Amino acid sequence: MSEFYQGMAEIFEVEESEMGPDFPLDEGWDSLAVVSTIALIDEVYDRTVSATRLQECKTVGDIEKLAQE
Amino acid sequence: MNDASPTRLTAAGIAAVATHLPDRVLTNDELAGLFPDWSAAKILEKTGILERRIAADDETAGDLAFEAALKLFASGIASPGDVDFIILCTQAPDHVLPTTACLLQDRLGCRRDIGALDVNLGCSGYVYGLSLASGLIAAGMASKVLLLTADTYSKYINARDKSVRTLFGDGAAATLVAATDGGGRTIGPFVYGTDGSGGKDLIVETGGFRAPRCAETAIEADDGAGNVRSRDNLYMNGAAVMNFTLREVPRTYRRLLDRSGLAPEDIDYVVLHQANKFMLDALQKKLAVKDEKLPRRYEDIGNTVSSTIPFVLSDLLRDGKLSSGTRLILIGFGVGLSWAGAVVQV
Repeated sequence: MSEFYQGMAEIFEVEESEMGPDFPLDEGWDSLAVVSTIALIDEVYDRTVSATRLQECKTVGDIEKLAQE
Repeated sequence: MNDASPTRLTAAGIAAVATHLPDRVLTNDELAGLFPDWSAAKILEKTGILERRIAADDETAGDLAFEAALKLFASGIASPGDVDFIILCTQAPDHVLPTTACLLQDRLGCRRDIGALDVNLGCSGYVYGLSLASGLIAAGMASKVLLLTADTYSKYINARDKSVRTLFGDGAAATLVAATDGGGRTIGPFVYGTDGSGGKDLIVETGGFRAPRCAETAIEADDGAGNVRSRDNLYMNGAAVMNFTLREVPRTYRRLLDRSGLAPEDIDYVVLHQANKFMLDALQKKLAVKDEKLPRRYEDIGNTVSSTIPFVLSDLLRDGKLSSGTRLILIGFGVGLSWAGAVVQV
């Protein structure tokens, strides 16, 4: 599993096996999770993503796409 | 500036630091009771904060600064009569006017032939305060500056807004910035940064004259993420602040190294504004600084705004870690948006 998905599993406090591109951003997708995700993307991809666009994401896969744009 | 110059700059140094906290403790258990989706353990794990101190209803930033200054004087390093300038950094002044620093001149029994003023900055305020104090000293306009930092963000925070209530605590610090007698203590160089376009991202919107407080501004609403606040309360766009911090703090660190001609290994401690654990963890990775060089202090006090850096300095002093020649980089960053860094040698 990639560093990005490992990090997202930590942020959502789920097993890595449960984490994947289809993981929905609803329960647990709070301000702290958003901030932690920004830090994770910075660490893994060495780039910042706009907070507004991050909040528009519906799944973890959407975030990965945004981070790789 | 060379020897032929008509004016000589006087070096300034940090001579002493004292801190003060209000008595009331706000624990994670208490917060977890209010915010059912966050356990006390989760709050600690994410923020690194176990408890914060909260000022009493009738206790102001001026009161906290007063107590911190008394502790500084009690150490014997200076007496109130030695101070020839008072700078108070706060965003929760005792009154709209007069200036809280003027009231403190009287309360502390300082002389009347001295200057006193308030500086309205948040988490960058300590470094800005140091720059003003050392500038006054360098220009020969003061020799012992009492730099006070004090804030009571708790008074702005809605009790049901976990996004900020978990992070911020009240507190104060008193720092004596004094002309040095050639002992090697220095403050500077400094680097500064300001981006007012991010003013909206960390804000108490009302209470000034752009948006006076009224019944309408006090109406509370849920922000959709389970946090309740009104326009009279503190609002933080955590994501925007995180982006700003990750962008500007590493840049400030590199600019300081460039400007001072120092390498990372020449720096004994990097003292960052103690925002919270996840922000410091992210910054530490980006700066590639080892744990022992990045001291932290938030577990028992939270984010005390402009006092976080002097709280760390006070710990280092207490632990005997600031021997002569120890070199530090200090970086403050936050509301404004505003940031600043300084190299300090003790």
